[in-house]
Amino acid sequence: MRLRIAYTKIEDARYIAHLDLTRVFERAIRRSGIHMSYSEGFNPRPKISFGFALAVGTEGEREYVDVELREDVDLGEVLARVQEQLPPGIRLLQGRAMDPGAKSLMAVLNAASYRIRVPMALPIQDERLQEAVGAWLGREHVTFSRYSKKGPTDKDIRPWVKHLEGKIQGDEVLFDLEVEMGNSGSVRPEEVLASLRELENLPIELDELQVIRTGVHVSYEGGKSSPIEIG
Amino acid sequence: MSNNTAADIRRQVERFLPKVLKPSRYIGSEWNVMKKDWAKTDVQMVFAFPDVYEVGMSHLGTRILYHLVNSFPEFLCERVFTPWVDMEKELRDREIPLYALESFKPIKEFDVVGFTLQYEMSFTNILNMLDLAGIPMRTEERGPDDPWVIAGGPCAYNPEPLVGFIDFFLIGESEEQLPEVLRLVGEQKKNPVSRKEFLRKVAQVQGVYVPEFYHITYKEDGRIEKIEAEEGFPALVEKAIVPDLDQAYFPTDPVVPYLEIVHDRMMLEVMRGCSRGCRFCQAGMIYRPVRERSPETLLRQTEELVRATGYDQIALTSLSTGDYSCIQPVVQGILEKHGEEGVGVSLPSLRVDSFDVDLAETVQKARKSGMTFAPEAGSQRLRDVINKGVEEQNLLEAAEAAFKKGWSTIKLYFMVGLPTETQADIDGIVDLAKKVANLGTKLGRRNITVTISTSVFVPKSHTPFQWEPQEAGSSVELKQRYLREKLRDRRLKYNYHDMSTSYLEAVFAKGDRKLAQLLEWAVKHGCRFDGWSDQFKEDVWMEGFKELGLDPHFYANRAMDYDDVLPWEHIGSGVSKQFLIEEHHRALQEAKTIDCRHNDCTGCGVCPSRGVQIELKG
Repeated sequence: MRLRIAYTKIEDARYIAHLDLTRVFERAIRRSGIHMSYSEGFNPRPKISFGFALAVGTEGEREYVDVELREDVDLGEVLARVQEQLPPGIRLLQGRAMDPGAKSLMAVLNAASYRIRVPMALPIQDERLQEAVGAWLGREHVTFSRYSKKGPTDKDIRPWVKHLEGKIQGDEVLFDLEVEMGNSGSVRPEEVLASLRELENLPIELDELQVIRTGVHVSYEGGKSSPIEIG
Repeated sequence: MSNNTAADIRRQVERFLPKVLKPSRYIGSEWNVMKKDWAKTDVQMVFAFPDVYEVGMSHLGTRILYHLVNSFPEFLCERVFTPWVDMEKELRDREIPLYALESFKPIKEFDVVGFTLQYEMSFTNILNMLDLAGIPMRTEERGPDDPWVIAGGPCAYNPEPLVGFIDFFLIGESEEQLPEVLRLVGEQKKNPVSRKEFLRKVAQVQGVYVPEFYHITYKEDGRIEKIEAEEGFPALVEKAIVPDLDQAYFPTDPVVPYLEIVHDRMMLEVMRGCSRGCRFCQAGMIYRPVRERSPETLLRQTEELVRATGYDQIALTSLSTGDYSCIQPVVQGILEKHGEEGVGVSLPSLRVDSFDVDLAETVQKARKSGMTFAPEAGSQRLRDVINKGVEEQNLLEAAEAAFKKGWSTIKLYFMVGLPTETQADIDGIVDLAKKVANLGTKLGRRNITVTISTSVFVPKSHTPFQWEPQEAGSSVELKQRYLREKLRDRRLKYNYHDMSTSYLEAVFAKGDRKLAQLLEWAVKHGCRFDGWSDQFKEDVWMEGFKELGLDPHFYANRAMDYDDVLPWEHIGSGVSKQFLIEEHHRALQEAKTIDCRHNDCTGCGVCPSRGVQIELKG
């Protein structure tokens, strides 16, 4: 039985590294007494797979995991029993039994949305904000330098950004951002904001950035849906 | 330091936590964590492990004591590990005090800070953690509001280099001793008496050593003249022993870490103590006598562990698990009951002469990684000197069996610099390594690897080799270079342990109270994580010796006399000095001493003097 489960990764759970998350689910399911399916070979691993990694420290309001179970079990019961065994911050939101042939999360997911909260470094009026966002979105190419051990590499980040919207709330700016994700890469929310500050001179305090990934999606011809609805 | 409430600390830490390495080291909300209410407990203790989270959480004793203390409704125990250097920098830059993982409360607010002493090279981390906590390093600088700083573990058998920083030490097994100490701390909170008065009381608990009641005088040449106990204190502080291990507390709902730790599996202690009598081995002396847990207890505990942790592997731990008399039925019982759920068994510390390849195969079905054997010395003569017992024949048979069953990597552990070692013994290592590799080739195995690892012999207190010097670094390094030359073969891989760390380890293993000032100096000059080769600052240490007029050779490279007063003379492991002297003689005569658990008593002294006995369940 193949299950797709939507869950949160918030509060303390946001510090769990993506690589450690498999073990967290694996042990929770084993504690719940539900039997998982294992891979073949010398070192059998339970069949648990995720979508795109969430950066350590970023909260995820709706993430997904695929789990294969050895036998058919009542969906509600699985969710309830596994939930009891999960650490704080990981809450199961929804589950669905998938067709055995359904594509993996990595194969279907291609977009992510974020909510970003950032303090102003200097006072910003709404007009100024809208102008900056508009100008940035109006650019055909946006070059951004990424630094790695090998030195800086320039990258055009504009094609990845599908939607960007900003509004003022007190002395903070709230952004809604939607980006494309693929095997060839993506753009990180902090990169978009850094570029916005640099290219449009928007005075925002990047050191105090708070990023929440509000969801990951299957985006197709302008529409977007949850991976739990398809397949 | 300004804002030090738990909530303030948490808020500040969360701001930078994603930027440090492995943030989940520092959040403490793991599965099975014990978050108790401070208001509803009388005594609050923090268990402090002087190394990183992944190392500390892999240590069984830490887990036992954490859950043991929390099993008392009136006590609370939280945890703290040494923050890695990146985290330390963030804490210092922001003036955030070291905090406990469970509550985020500052360490300073606890009644007791308990360090475990697993390794001499973690001593600087202890001082650094006190400093990060804002607790004065020196006992005399602490006030009535500061916690009691206590320490236990194997290195407490020579606690002298830490005297001045630790209020009192717990010698031996803490399952019964620590709760007794905490009860006294609770009384002290309710009806406080003077520091001296309290220490007098706590010194009555079995195995508690309060160093300020023991006075050391030195001879002109730096050796100890005498150790004098104040009136009313025992001349010999005898270790605490758990007489019935089968009934002793053992936690079956341990904390399950988020991040991968060094030993990331369930750990079940099948036996305590080892009477094989290897003459270099401190654990083999200080954990006597051998006491086993019954198969019934172990199977019940396994069941509980699997339910409570969700781990898929269980390690049956002890100093030499192949010697546990019920190993077969226990392994079979576990696999019958839990094999179906994918639970595997691992057996660390298998000796070549109690090695059973079928057993090894049953338990290692899944992971044909590598098989490790520890002959410790290259020649039969030297193996007899150290009383390792293992014969070459045992090793070759074990290696052959392993190759035949499909293992392709064999790891061999040796020590260099052992007492009486000659060139022939070093050649013996090369010889043995090649014999093992040739065996693999002869059996038609391709792509075999024989990894040879050598550590440097460090003489340890309370062993028959405690009077022995460590071999000079220059000559050990020659031997290491020689081995590197001779072990050039594409089937062989040679690793060796760094001499400079082993040298410092020997200094502290055999050191006295005078070294305390050096520790303090080293910490002030940036030494910490000395066991991590990328952090070890040899030049700073050497400068410290010079600055303080201390001679490292005096400690590490001096042969001691039987009538020398040893720095740990007043600490009792239960094994008599007379026995250690006899064993030292026998070593030099290349005479083996047998294992008392299946044969006659060898007269080490622990059973009659302490009213305990060997307990076998098979």
